[in-house]
Amino acid sequence: MTVRCLLGMLGTDVHSKGIRTLAQVLRDAGIEVIYLGEHNSVAGMVRAVIDEDADIIGLSFSSAAYLEYIRQFVTAMRENGVGSVPLMIGGLIHPDDHLPLQEMGISGIFGPGSRMDAIIDFVRNKGGSLQ
Amino acid sequence: MANNTDGIDPALLGLLQNEVKMSRTKSWSGIETAAYYGPDKRDVDYDTKLGNPGEYPYTRGAYPEMYRSRMWTLRNIVGYGAPEDTREGLLKTIAAGGNGINVVGDPPTTQGIDPDHPAIGPEVGLEGCSLPTMRDMERLLAGVDLAKIDTAWHWSTTAYALVAAVHSHRGQSLNTLQGSNMPDMLQETLSGWGQKVVPAAFGHRNAVDQIEFCTANSPKWALGIPQAYDLRERGLSPAGEIAVGMAIVIKTMEDLVVRGVSIDRAAAGIAWVSISDVDFFEEVAKFRALRRFWARTMKERFGATDTRALRLRIACHTSGRSLVYKQPLNNLTRTAIQSLAALCGGVQSLEACTYDEPVCVPTHEARDLAIRQQQILANEIGAARVADPLGGSWYIESLTDTVEAEAVAMLEKIEKIGVIEAVTNGYIEQIMDDYNLTVQRELDLNERIVVGVNQFVPENDPVPTRFRFDPTNTRIHLQRFSELKQQRDRTSWEAALRHLHDTARGGGNCTQASIDALIADVTVGELWGTLRVANGYAYDPYGAVEAPIRYNA
Repeated sequence: MTVRCLLGMLGTDVHSKGIRTLAQVLRDAGIEVIYLGEHNSVAGMVRAVIDEDADIIGLSFSSAAYLEYIRQFVTAMRENGVGSVPLMIGGLIHPDDHLPLQEMGISGIFGPGSRMDAIIDFVRNKGGSLQ
Repeated sequence: MANNTDGIDPALLGLLQNEVKMSRTKSWSGIETAAYYGPDKRDVDYDTKLGNPGEYPYTRGAYPEMYRSRMWTLRNIVGYGAPEDTREGLLKTIAAGGNGINVVGDPPTTQGIDPDHPAIGPEVGLEGCSLPTMRDMERLLAGVDLAKIDTAWHWSTTAYALVAAVHSHRGQSLNTLQGSNMPDMLQETLSGWGQKVVPAAFGHRNAVDQIEFCTANSPKWALGIPQAYDLRERGLSPAGEIAVGMAIVIKTMEDLVVRGVSIDRAAAGIAWVSISDVDFFEEVAKFRALRRFWARTMKERFGATDTRALRLRIACHTSGRSLVYKQPLNNLTRTAIQSLAALCGGVQSLEACTYDEPVCVPTHEARDLAIRQQQILANEIGAARVADPLGGSWYIESLTDTVEAEAVAMLEKIEKIGVIEAVTNGYIEQIMDDYNLTVQRELDLNERIVVGVNQFVPENDPVPTRFRFDPTNTRIHLQRFSELKQQRDRTSWEAALRHLHDTARGGGNCTQASIDALIADVTVGELWGTLRVANGYAYDPYGAVEAPIRYNA
């Protein structure tokens, strides 16, 4: 069955070059991408996870606000009964934040220098291969 | 007698003293040099395609003596936290030798979203300075006489109106206001703001309003159009920069001419906001092709005759996207060469990215090194000594022609669609996405090598240091913001909002009404939301905030 991957960004972050490229790369790899683009609120994004019945979610951040945004997002996912949908994050993720992110249950952390094939693999396995 | 430094905070006097000067026209060994070099005998080809520096079509430079007559302005962007935090950063930059106040607003401010918006809480002040009200702008600019000190603002929406509000509120005439901002809204739509935040036609109208108003009322205020920097970073080649940038410029000029603005006046106030990326020779060629393309367009298409309209001034910032996260000190090599390309290409102002750009908001040390780098280029390398030092090189001349020819072809396609439509229907975004995908594929296949990305990746690279600042001021700033909303004079605030809405609905120029609204303590979110409503869009792009008043139908 085709994997349904929801991609988007939160808040006012406009650095969408990476996630747009990723969307195309994933599509070319046969993954069904639901691309929400920039300027989503946490509530709107969680609604989309439910409505779109996503198998995996990818959020991208250039903004240093990512730790707080991810905390809010993970909490809202849990409160809305979709806390088990795997979440991957990418962008300017600082190594110092890997541990707190893992503690929040994020298994896919694709910071600077990540390879596209590793991300494709992770999405194909619905967040399985790195766990 | 009034002293020229009256009204300026003593801590800011360095701004007037830190000017970069040409320290030497001889080579390092002592050989005397001329301002420029050219062929022994000029022919028609040289005259039409190149000309000497300062001569039409300005391929070889905007001014005859280039940096001998005026050095480039050494810029360094600052912006984080509350106005007080950014002010502290500016003072440190001035102490290190910076000679311009260059402020970047945080994304909420620049996108016209208030800091108390429920969807953006964690972002306030993180990636730029939070400046949601005129009061905040006054805090940042205390002791800065805006008639004497040039301030540069890296955003489109409300920068001019906020600075103009401070200046007017101090009782000074807008006619004396110095500085610059970048009123290019089509670029914003293309670089990630999208139709959701800035529908193309609405944004473009706002940009044309600002340019029309500034041309008439603040002739010393420079306008950075197009903001091609972000376009390139989003995903365009050098030829693409010229094509998309010129498409925006041409549409803007056409609209201004319809409003009765003379092309000579409008074009004279404009500087092209450009980029210098890692390919040294290609960037040098780009700057040369760009000036020629601009001059010919202004002359042949618009009938401009004033030299100031025909010779393009270029403001340049080195590419942030080209910098690499791993082993970030390598980025000093990249920015030095990018800056050298910009100077060989004849730019009028230059900002070098700090080496830690891919890691975080610049640390104070990284900003210091960025300034030192330009001082080394100015004084030791001889980068400014001779205008267009690479002119006449077969390679550079051929690249210049090729970049220009590619740009001509791309522009033709965009104009066939119409630039507003090409922004709205995703045509230009597709060009950018295709460019990025090609780059990514080449990186994945090692057909394009970037040190520290797909080859020569250091192992055990130490974790990079992050810029951190105390969030106390941001908390106080947020508290002040909510107090201002409680305490402001509701009658004048509401009247100003209504006037702004009605002006926009009636198709008038909204710039004066925006300035007046900010003086009446309207916030940037209320200002931008009101303009959105007047143009037929929802008040809040996130759908989370209600309009503060019921507008007239």
